[in-house]
Amino acid sequence: MKEWLRVFKNGLSIENPLTILMIGLCATLAVSTQVQGSLFMGIAVIFVLVMSNTLIAMFRKVIPDEVRIPIFIVIIAGFVTIVDLFMKAFFPPIYAVLGIWIPLIVVNCIILGRAEAFAYHNTVWLSIADGFGMGTGFSIVLVGLAFLREFFGSGKIEFFGTAILKMPAGYAPPTILMMFPGAFILFGFIVAFMRWLSERSAARKAA
Amino acid sequence: MSMLSHYMLLFIGAALINNILLTRFIALCSFFGISNSMHTAIGMSAAVVFVMMMASTTTWLVWMFLLVPLGVGEFLYIPAFILIIAALVQFVEMYLRKYSPVLYRSMGIYLPLITTNCAVLAAATEVAKPGFFKMAMAYNYTIGEALVYTLGVSVGYGFALIAFTALRERLDIAPVPRALKGTPMSFITAGLLSLAYVGLAGWFGL
Repeated sequence: MKEWLRVFKNGLSIENPLTILMIGLCATLAVSTQVQGSLFMGIAVIFVLVMSNTLIAMFRKVIPDEVRIPIFIVIIAGFVTIVDLFMKAFFPPIYAVLGIWIPLIVVNCIILGRAEAFAYHNTVWLSIADGFGMGTGFSIVLVGLAFLREFFGSGKIEFFGTAILKMPAGYAPPTILMMFPGAFILFGFIVAFMRWLSERSAARKAA
Repeated sequence: MSMLSHYMLLFIGAALINNILLTRFIALCSFFGISNSMHTAIGMSAAVVFVMMMASTTTWLVWMFLLVPLGVGEFLYIPAFILIIAALVQFVEMYLRKYSPVLYRSMGIYLPLITTNCAVLAAATEVAKPGFFKMAMAYNYTIGEALVYTLGVSVGYGFALIAFTALRERLDIAPVPRALKGTPMSFITAGLLSLAYVGLAGWFGL
């Protein structure tokens, strides 16, 4: 298997930032009330992650070791500003929903974590693959969580104001899924389920 | 409304009703990361109160007297605020190490972690550039309000963190299903804790 394909797959499965590494949780739980907003958040994170990984990998040989963290943060903050202004200009309704979470991408541990752990030590192409893999792994879990919460919590999935998927009439949605306690509890069960799956497959392999 | 009750409501709103951890989901990394021991939780809470007050004051001043008059606020607020926080944390660490070794020993190791604690950036952004949290007020905070708000946010953070740590210490010895042990159960506990905060929503019209 090609090296970059392996790196890309790492982010999706065995090093998934959310379910395995448990970083970048804040944004996930807060944003996942609607699929539409989560999709945009996922795209924003992939963009910032890929761009910052690329730039840091490009300059990894000239960035002095002592001041690398401030340099990483300034690079990340620059790309986050691009996303911030772009969304405000072209997608104001979505910007209003995501709100503080766009500027807070700067301190999203996933991005600084990948810069420090991967991009600073690897080539540009591998870092791009890592950025895409990590970003996609993040987005899949985020959108999946948002789908469960919006579909079961409000009974429909909305995209730009039109419902594309609906529960049968007479379904009384449990609103708690849309509120913050629902996010914690649902995510707890998702993590438990993933762990149960991996334990079962490990047990099968051993048997 | 008198001045005092205005400040009181601002404080209660920031600390309890809009609790930054349990109703805003900000700074969850630290919430799950360091709630293993009571000692750590208390140290971190103290450090957060301290740094947040300084960070918010600085960003408020920089926003009011530097970024807005120069007309670059919209473009530069993210890099400017994060750099202010990072530099501030570094200075505080250096100062404490030299002049107050006792204080440094008790909260020094948490200081570098605070740079990437989203709560600090969130509060610092909110006081300088309000509107993200859709709170009742749409105008700019005065410096007094900014300080009271930040104090509320950081005290609310510490309160929730310490309460959760106390719950988790009990949880370690509780009999739970094997797949739920550890992290999943902590999430469910946090969910129940935040359910209590839902009950506070709407108090005093906040």
